Amino acid sequence: MTVASLAQANGLHAQTPEPPPKGSYSESQAQGIDRMIMCPVCPAETIDQAQVEISFQMRAVVRGMLADGKERDEILDFFVERYGKDILAAPPKTGANLVAWLAPVGGFGAGLVAVFLIIRSMSRQRPALVTVQPVQDAGLIPYLQLVDRHLDLTRGGTSNQPSYSVESRGTDVPEQTEGQTEKEDNG
Amino acid sequence: MADLGAISLWIALALAAYSTVGSVAGKLRLSPELVESAQSAMYAAGLALMVATLSLVVSFISRDFEIAYVAAHSDLAMANKFTWVAFYAGNEGSLLYIATILSIMSAIAVWRAPEKFKGALPYTTAILMLTLTFFVAVMAVMANPFDKLPFVPLDGDGINPLLTHFGMFFHPPALMAGLIGITVPFAFAIGSLLAGKTGDEWVDAGRVWGMVSWVLLAGGLLLGSWWAYTILGWGGFWFWDPVENAAFMPWLGITAFIHSIMVQKRRGMFRMWNIVLINVAFGLALYGMFMNRGGSVPSVHSFGASQLGWIFLLFLAVGVIVPFAIFVWRYPLLKSVQNLDSMLSREAAFLVNNMLLLAIAFVTLWGTVYPLLSRLTNDEEITVARPFYDQVNGPLMLGLVFLMGVGPLIPWRKAGMASLRRSLLLPVVGGLLTVGILAALGLHKDYALIAFGLATFVTTGILMEWFRGTRSRRRNSEENYVTAFFRLIAANRPRYGGYIVHLSVVMVTLGIVGTSFFGVQRDVVLSPGESTTINDYELAYLGTVEVPKSNRTEFTSTVQVFRDGELLDTIRTKRAFYPSFNMAATTAAIRSTPVEDLYVVPSENLPDGSVGFRILVNPLIWWMWVAGPVMVLGTVIALWPQKIRAPVPARPPRRFAPGSRPSAA
Repeated sequence: MTVASLAQANGLHAQTPEPPPKGSYSESQAQGIDRMIMCPVCPAETIDQAQVEISFQMRAVVRGMLADGKERDEILDFFVERYGKDILAAPPKTGANLVAWLAPVGGFGAGLVAVFLIIRSMSRQRPALVTVQPVQDAGLIPYLQLVDRHLDLTRGGTSNQPSYSVESRGTDVPEQTEGQTEKEDNG
Repeated sequence: MADLGAISLWIALALAAYSTVGSVAGKLRLSPELVESAQSAMYAAGLALMVATLSLVVSFISRDFEIAYVAAHSDLAMANKFTWVAFYAGNEGSLLYIATILSIMSAIAVWRAPEKFKGALPYTTAILMLTLTFFVAVMAVMANPFDKLPFVPLDGDGINPLLTHFGMFFHPPALMAGLIGITVPFAFAIGSLLAGKTGDEWVDAGRVWGMVSWVLLAGGLLLGSWWAYTILGWGGFWFWDPVENAAFMPWLGITAFIHSIMVQKRRGMFRMWNIVLINVAFGLALYGMFMNRGGSVPSVHSFGASQLGWIFLLFLAVGVIVPFAIFVWRYPLLKSVQNLDSMLSREAAFLVNNMLLLAIAFVTLWGTVYPLLSRLTNDEEITVARPFYDQVNGPLMLGLVFLMGVGPLIPWRKAGMASLRRSLLLPVVGGLLTVGILAALGLHKDYALIAFGLATFVTTGILMEWFRGTRSRRRNSEENYVTAFFRLIAANRPRYGGYIVHLSVVMVTLGIVGTSFFGVQRDVVLSPGESTTINDYELAYLGTVEVPKSNRTEFTSTVQVFRDGELLDTIRTKRAFYPSFNMAATTAAIRSTPVEDLYVVPSENLPDGSVGFRILVNPLIWWMWVAGPVMVLGTVIALWPQKIRAPVPARPPRRFAPGSRPSAA
């Protein structure tokens, strides 16, 4: 059956013509298929979105085929046969087009590995802090943290100065309490 | 007016070019006078562009159809308020808009540059003005908005009806300003590299202007979605159109940047990384502007194929390669002051956040270029559209929401297990409870469950922080809860403003998840008097009134909405047909509540008086539109300059305690 005759069979003008024998498909199923098929005449829109005659007709075809008991893949194949692979809104997950799907996964994996390596190499530069043995005497912890904080003040330079610059008031506030809360945590 | 505009353009071009050369020459020859005059030239270029802008506005208002651009984008029937939209409706005007915005931003940025950055400022000025020179030159030579027609037409072609919408007043200008705004932090970064100032001098300006671009892009994207939702007539708001993507990618880049710049600001780390990030964001912004002007991919947004595409591509190549070369040249100087202490630290969380954001940008870019690759390698036409992005980017975005909940709760440097447990316990319990309750209520869509769980996780974390901060503030200063809460936010604006923005992102997530997983859509044709049902709504179509207007015919259809036999509302949809454009602009009737939107849009008017309606129920989408103002509010708070205040004597030792537990975000 051609697109046109199928469309006519289902009432050309109706948006989503109720196909005569209401087959065993749901409207959301049909819409799922609509969203996989590009409108051939409009830029970058699927037939679900496009408000032009041909997409009305194609939606009718989708519903007609579903009512005939066709599967999703069969319907998509039907359109691919007529319009070519680019009628599909996403590349098929087969053959060479698998690359389209695998590249993001690969990229993400590489990103994760990279972040892991970066963190490891950045933290390795000062191993002493990371591998330090837990302080035996819990009472010392607040003082050690105080020392840490003061070292930070002298080293960090710009942002950790006490409050004479415009920025530092806001930013050094938490630094003060960070120590306090860690104290609480450990105490 | 045309002449005044054209002359101002050329003057601006000369000034911008002089400012570029003068800044560098003055800096290299150590001539402060030259540097100063170059800087004055920059301000003057801004003035010249404002004169040009004003001339075009006046030309529009006086409907000076001798100017080709005015004739192409307005007509006598156009209301004057749409001048603002017509101004950037085409290539030429939008370039003028972009150039003017860049010149204004440059002027403010240079004028407000911190004292410690002064040494590198001439380079920054030069980069800003080089970019401006490019835009003004392209405009003056290839797309001059003041070009005249050989004759004066009686009427213009009129404005594209799709643009006559409230959202259009802000969506394109916000996006364009956001895209070009990325030039400013970029210029500060590269300027400081060129000057050999590889420390943190540029960080404050970079952060502030990064956030300005960020909020412009975010607001522009949201407004564009809103426009699509209310006027495009298919009931959705985002479809991964190539040009949407082109604006989305720089937004991702700048989002990564404004997070990781905080690490440099607070900890002196990620110096190289921040420069890479701002380069990436700038490259993506240039790419976005290229896509908009004769890019290779079909889109509903493009200004039409033009030669400009190639010029922009060239500029894009230069804008990516040259900064990269500078970066490599200065690489040895970019050393972090501090080391990363632990995998379990906010620094590490920021890195992962950056990676996820860039991964989404990569996927989006990949989807945009894959059709091209496929055509070149397999000779096969392939489309990459929404299903691809939904499937690949969806999980990445959920990961991002998760990190948004974790990041602010774990401390800088190194998180102790005890403190982690204390700050994460409640949010995790909240998230799991949400999942459990929703699952028990019969919600069985995995993605949606995870998303709602994460939304609760993030929200609980933020509320908990606010509550703890407010409580301890109240205890220590005897303020009441309300005062304590507001003072808490005022005391650390970058952090609490950031939390508000995070909340708005949660709201957007709710909207996306609600509509994507629980939206219901029906297409029906109704004759007057007929009714239909969707979910528990019953809709009765009463009839359509047809009103001919000067340039369009408006069809207004009235629909009554019932629930449980009770009349809820009477709503009106509008469909205006513009014969001269052979185009219809629809306005959906939307009955919006925080729970769900009932959305009715007419898609065709049939001769017998019946109307094809598309009816949707879109759960939770209300939150998405409310998120916009919340997001802007949060950004404004975060950006609001912290005033120097004399220390208040009240209980000095505990003064800093309120709500600053893990530390500033």
